[in-house]
Amino acid sequence: MKKTLHVAVREFLSTVLTKGFIVGILIAPALIAVLIVVMPRLMREAPPKVTGEVAVVDPTGRVVGGLGEYLRPERIAERREELRRRIDEATPEAVRAVAGTSPQGRAVVEQSLDAALGEVPRIQVVSLDPATDLEEAKAPLKVEAEGGGRGEMGRLALVVVHPDAVVRPQGQGAYGSYDLYVRGKLDDRIEDEIRGGLREALVAARVAASGLDREQVAAVTTVKRVRSVTVTAEGERVTNEVVNILLPAGFMVLLLVSVLTSGQYLLTSTVEEKSNRVVEVLLSAVSPMQLMVGKIVGQMAVGFLILALYAGLGVVAMVSFAVLGLLDASLLFFLLAFYLLAYVTIASLMAAIGAAVNEMREAQTLMTPVMLLIMVPWMLWMPITRDPDSTFSVVTSFIPPISNFVMLLRMTSTSPPPLWQPWLAVLVGAAGAWVALWFAAKVFRIGLLMYGKPPTFATLVRWARMA
Amino acid sequence: MGDAIVLRGVSKSFGSTVAVRDLDLVVPEGALVGVIGPNGAGKTTTIRMVLSILFPDRGELSVLGHRSALEAKDRIGYLPEERGLYKKMRVGSFLAYMARLKSGDGPDLRRRVRQWLERVGLGEVENKRCEELSKGMQQKVQFVAALLHRPDLLILDEPFSGLDPVNQRLLRDLVSEENRRGATVLFSTHVMVQAEQLCDHVVMIHHGDKVLDETMGGIRSRFDPRTILFEPLDPAADVAPLEAVPGVEAVRRDGQSHEVALTEGSDPAAVIRGLAAAVPAARVEIRRPTLEDVFVSIVTGAPAAASEDGARLREALRDTGGLGAR
Repeated sequence: MKKTLHVAVREFLSTVLTKGFIVGILIAPALIAVLIVVMPRLMREAPPKVTGEVAVVDPTGRVVGGLGEYLRPERIAERREELRRRIDEATPEAVRAVAGTSPQGRAVVEQSLDAALGEVPRIQVVSLDPATDLEEAKAPLKVEAEGGGRGEMGRLALVVVHPDAVVRPQGQGAYGSYDLYVRGKLDDRIEDEIRGGLREALVAARVAASGLDREQVAAVTTVKRVRSVTVTAEGERVTNEVVNILLPAGFMVLLLVSVLTSGQYLLTSTVEEKSNRVVEVLLSAVSPMQLMVGKIVGQMAVGFLILALYAGLGVVAMVSFAVLGLLDASLLFFLLAFYLLAYVTIASLMAAIGAAVNEMREAQTLMTPVMLLIMVPWMLWMPITRDPDSTFSVVTSFIPPISNFVMLLRMTSTSPPPLWQPWLAVLVGAAGAWVALWFAAKVFRIGLLMYGKPPTFATLVRWARMA
Repeated sequence: MGDAIVLRGVSKSFGSTVAVRDLDLVVPEGALVGVIGPNGAGKTTTIRMVLSILFPDRGELSVLGHRSALEAKDRIGYLPEERGLYKKMRVGSFLAYMARLKSGDGPDLRRRVRQWLERVGLGEVENKRCEELSKGMQQKVQFVAALLHRPDLLILDEPFSGLDPVNQRLLRDLVSEENRRGATVLFSTHVMVQAEQLCDHVVMIHHGDKVLDETMGGIRSRFDPRTILFEPLDPAADVAPLEAVPGVEAVRRDGQSHEVALTEGSDPAAVIRGLAAAVPAARVEIRRPTLEDVFVSIVTGAPAAASEDGARLREALRDTGGLGAR
């Protein structure tokens, strides 16, 4: 027992204290953090300050005015302000608190807002004679502008409104539309503004032409999107769709990542021991079983560390989004239980493979079936989250080792299975883990001192029978 | 005193190859026994079975009074032939780890590690990574790993291979010292000279069979000296008169010197006098039978010097340099 522990401690430390592990384990959360912080900044960046004109050929004569109004700098600034207010509302309390409490944070936020508002494009809408030659009107678009997408750009776009865009001819179903010609290098956000303006202007013109009131139409067609309330035996709570999808996915990814990472480390370290020829020295001090169990336990600790780090991150995120209440304590328990079972199963196989081969390259062929086992839950993810109670879902959640993943997926879904099912899955998973461990122990003992031709899976099975 | 190792009728095959056949072996406590034989003779397989790393197909064994070495692992020190270190681990930590695995833990563990490293002349490498050491240094570290926990039984598989003469001597002295301390030592080598220099008891294995199991003294007296080594003062001298000396059966040239075979029942002292009188000599000495001679004569069934088979076998038994000179 004590020897197993010594092996485990060495295994854990020699894995965790490498540069590769520390960098690898820190980089992933850092990347996620960067994505969360930086990406919205990049996306929200206001369109560049552009000065120019949009030429409109409008045979109906009812669209130009609306578009001109929509593209006035003050209106653009207003819409932007409105957007900012909505984003602010949606920002979780915790994030706002962080941004608000630190003076620098507030300064940065305000500065960037001011800058954004100051950068409103100045677009002039020019109406062209409906008889204008199309090619002639396009000509200014071809003139190369100075300043590469910023500043004075001359004609930015040419809009040709269809004659039937506002009033439908008798017996025709659809309204006409418009053609949009833009110059090269026009910022897509400017183009979006123009499209938005045209949509707004066309709808307003059509509504007016039909003798209706715009405000009224808007009111009539608006249905506020509400949150659903999930009703369960325990009570009612507001459904959070994002969490409903993200939670099972998050749990499964967590499980897969930690199992896969620690399993991979176990494989590498076993192959290393064998190819370094340390293994026989070790075997004179510990039995193969002690060595294998020690290594599995050591790498399990590594997996727990990864699990704790990422799950911790997840919990912090959930606290900041104030949705921690959705997380069940029993769910965490089962996460750990299924991690343990899935890990022991996969790790045993990895250890067996590591003991059987002479170098990493040879391990690849034997790894493929194990990798497939790990990939299966990914393929099952969508069908199972969609219909967690289908026969298919229920059956797969009792086939080890994928049962460990699938049952967790079902438990985090909108319709969790009755409690006896997870417990049964734990039992089935434990049986699977035991079989894998038994197989691995046999192969491990024989494989460790076998050098030469890398074995096939059939050979491994023969070894297991032989030992 | 009991027996440290007892093997009775032990056999082991790998597929169709018989590695060890019906081996009986008894190593008394406190003995220093060498297992010798050419490459592939079955030495390593025997040792692995003693250590319960491999299990015999047939036969019984007991180690330090236990049915299996697994029950006595902590009292055994083992230097395998297939040896290695954790490349990235520091030398000191590696040794401490190995000692801990052998339950050799204790408050003075680190101090003992330092002491041992200094004894083998590696005092400065304690904090280096194992991969930074030369092959010879690594071997000494592994040697220390086998001794660090003060084992009662020390099993060394080809402990001297790949070492220079100075280090071979250092390790040989350490092995003798451990033996004097009371440890039973069993070691294997395919270089006979090393066994001759170190052991008091030799077991010879050839093609999985035990062909010899005797003390060095017994071997020497059983294989009576029947050869005299003669080196003329003038290398170009005519050695024909030697054959005329009474008691001489044949003279065979062997490099610079000549091997003079004696007839049955002749007196070596008289022959030496006669030889020296016949040709001016730089060196005349009775050649004591080496293990090599003994081995060759057992295996080929002919007197040591003669056959061509013997010459080839001799090559195989001498192949490491170092102290190989006779």
